[in-house]
Amino acid sequence: MSMITGTLNQYIQCVERMYRTGQGNILSRLLSLRDEHVYNRNLLSSDIATLVTGNCVAPLDELVIAHLSCLKALYASDYIEAYDHQSICVASVVKLLQGQKEENWCLPVMYAACLDLRLVAQKAEASSPQNGSKIMEKAAESLLACFRVCAADNRASDVDTKKIGMLCLVNQLLKVYFRINKLHLCKPLIRAIDSSPFKDQFPLAQQITYRYFVGRKAMFDSDYRLADEYLSFAFENCHRRSIRNKRLILTYLVPVKMLLGFMPAKYLLEKYDLLQFWDLISAVKNGDLRGIDMVMEEHEKFFITAGIYLIVEKLKITAYRNLFRKVYLAENSHQIDIASFEAALQIMGQEDVDSDETQCIVANLIYDGKIKGYISYQHKKVVVSKQNAFPPLSSLY
Amino acid sequence: MSSYFDYFCTHIEKNSDTIRGTCNSMCPDEEVILREREDLVHVLEVLGPIRKYVKSYSRSAADTNIAKPNLLRPYSVLIDTLHYLLLEVTKRKEVSSVMVYDFVNDRLRAIRQDMTIQRLPPEQCVKLLEPMIRFYVYYGYKFSNLSTKGFDSDLNKKYLLECIKWFLSCIDTMDLSTNRNIDLLSDFISNLNIKNVRRYRLGYDRVLMECLYILCNLDDVHPLYRYLNFSKDLKSDPRLNLAFKIAIANMKGNYIKIFKSMKTLCPLSYCALCTYMPVLQRKALLTLAHAYNSKKFVVPIEVITRWLRLSSNRDTIKVCSHYGIKTEGNNILFNKGEFKTDAFLHQTSLEDDTMKHLDLSVDNIFTYSS
Repeated sequence: MSMITGTLNQYIQCVERMYRTGQGNILSRLLSLRDEHVYNRNLLSSDIATLVTGNCVAPLDELVIAHLSCLKALYASDYIEAYDHQSICVASVVKLLQGQKEENWCLPVMYAACLDLRLVAQKAEASSPQNGSKIMEKAAESLLACFRVCAADNRASDVDTKKIGMLCLVNQLLKVYFRINKLHLCKPLIRAIDSSPFKDQFPLAQQITYRYFVGRKAMFDSDYRLADEYLSFAFENCHRRSIRNKRLILTYLVPVKMLLGFMPAKYLLEKYDLLQFWDLISAVKNGDLRGIDMVMEEHEKFFITAGIYLIVEKLKITAYRNLFRKVYLAENSHQIDIASFEAALQIMGQEDVDSDETQCIVANLIYDGKIKGYISYQHKKVVVSKQNAFPPLSSLY
Repeated sequence: MSSYFDYFCTHIEKNSDTIRGTCNSMCPDEEVILREREDLVHVLEVLGPIRKYVKSYSRSAADTNIAKPNLLRPYSVLIDTLHYLLLEVTKRKEVSSVMVYDFVNDRLRAIRQDMTIQRLPPEQCVKLLEPMIRFYVYYGYKFSNLSTKGFDSDLNKKYLLECIKWFLSCIDTMDLSTNRNIDLLSDFISNLNIKNVRRYRLGYDRVLMECLYILCNLDDVHPLYRYLNFSKDLKSDPRLNLAFKIAIANMKGNYIKIFKSMKTLCPLSYCALCTYMPVLQRKALLTLAHAYNSKKFVVPIEVITRWLRLSSNRDTIKVCSHYGIKTEGNNILFNKGEFKTDAFLHQTSLEDDTMKHLDLSVDNIFTYSS
């Protein structure tokens, strides 16, 4: 039977058969909003509930009614209504899962319903901006209900446990929380996954998504080593054809790497259409503070929407280090006048910097270990170590 | 953290049916009778022969119903109560200032409770919350330098954050419903380079509150991300821009820049930053101990006094010895190994020249617009 031309009855029979024979993957497609059956106009009856009830086994009937009603609302472009039906859909999946002890073949159905829920919620949110993030918050609650069922499945054996479904849900939740800017809610989810015995058994694709978000969270919390580890894993394991995803990962990985002292090659930035970073990289390398300000102004929107503006701001510290290193190489001495550093800062556009502030900047670099040496206030000189006065940044973290 | 606010979000916004207060005095009659009978009159409620009761805060217990109209004060009464508390009670001198603080704080909590139960609209909430935020910032500053008995700075900060977050969330709700189109328009206008009329002042100083949110949370990046997503003309407001620059300087450990910019702050922003001073000074001293670490080279005391905006050289010596830094005559000998990283925060005296120029009187603090 073709899913695009079949009748409603044929569709219901097909769904039932897949349910009885435990074919989770096919069933998930039949109940997804991203499958070809959604183009079948025969499924959009005016009275779905009466046609399905009695015609389909419980608890599947509820699910089918909610799914088809959602579809109908989507065709009518009523996204709020569609969202309500899809959330009933997810609630029915929760009931379905709760009823199935010691089996987990239904997880794909849950994955599909949850992903659809988030997508519909986004649509609904866009269609009614006056609601703010309320719809997304409600969607998160529905997702959490699924999460609880999975996380609480302690009795089933490793093969049949629903716990394996946790990561997919956590990923959906992370996406929601990042979207509505409630990052503090991520912490318990991350803890649940990191302490899970299935940590390394989750599907690779899910692990990549997970590390991408946790990496971004670590970046937000200024834990750059952890951010580097997670984002690098995501980048290295991401499928080579997923250019868009790789670009997304790099948007965060590049500035993190730069802070840790690794400058990406130009061809990489070209390949992923991230040349916004190239001017920044050369400005940081040259200690060109005015240049950094110019790049930040030019690409302000990109840096802000990506949430990396503050990291770029922090790269100025690296620029100070590079600038002072140039002065040190030019003076070819282990004792450098504060005045030389001050002059260099002023040439680079920091006109209002005086001797006090120059010393403050140097003091911070010494404290961070980026310059080895000390300042003599009486002589107004910075005395740097004879060996490795400016250790490579990559050796510091 | 912000309990009222959470309550507000989870329980109240969902239902639109509201309860309107009918109590037209600062304290419901029921409570007046009860407190007279039980002899629960606060000293600050006694004004010579008359008694001026203000509704006190009480937790909602399971068996009591606090959502009774005759126990709740409508918006106009709440505003009057707020004015009375902040502009009259805070001037009372016959009891200690901590006692005044405790009294006012308790009565402010009762106001917030009335606001929550009645589900006041955001337009009214902002007007009630704004002066409260001023109150918590001001008293946080006033009590910060002396180890005042009975004043809990953490609790004060908790109430402050509760009010600020509630305030900002109201602002966002209001923005959402009205400013979508205005924003586009104002982008258009600012592109035309016409200095547009201030649209943020509606009887409350939004920009000042945004500044305080940044300056009261210098170790937190959330206020900065909030700032970055503002519209262009809000971002370029000189006061807000200055607060952002101070936060950025703090992120980079640039204490010189922070202290330099203090001169141009408005009184409350100044208070907010002052409360953070001890943290800044400790961080700066730790940095200095590493950078000027030497057995023979010293740094004159007066230089450190100037750099860290300490009130006197004597004060500098006190702070230094508190953190294990040695002084020798008029000089300081920095040694990174001797810095006591586990020492508790040293509260320094906040008297300095800038303060003398600021009008920190109660009348000004609670009413000025920057």
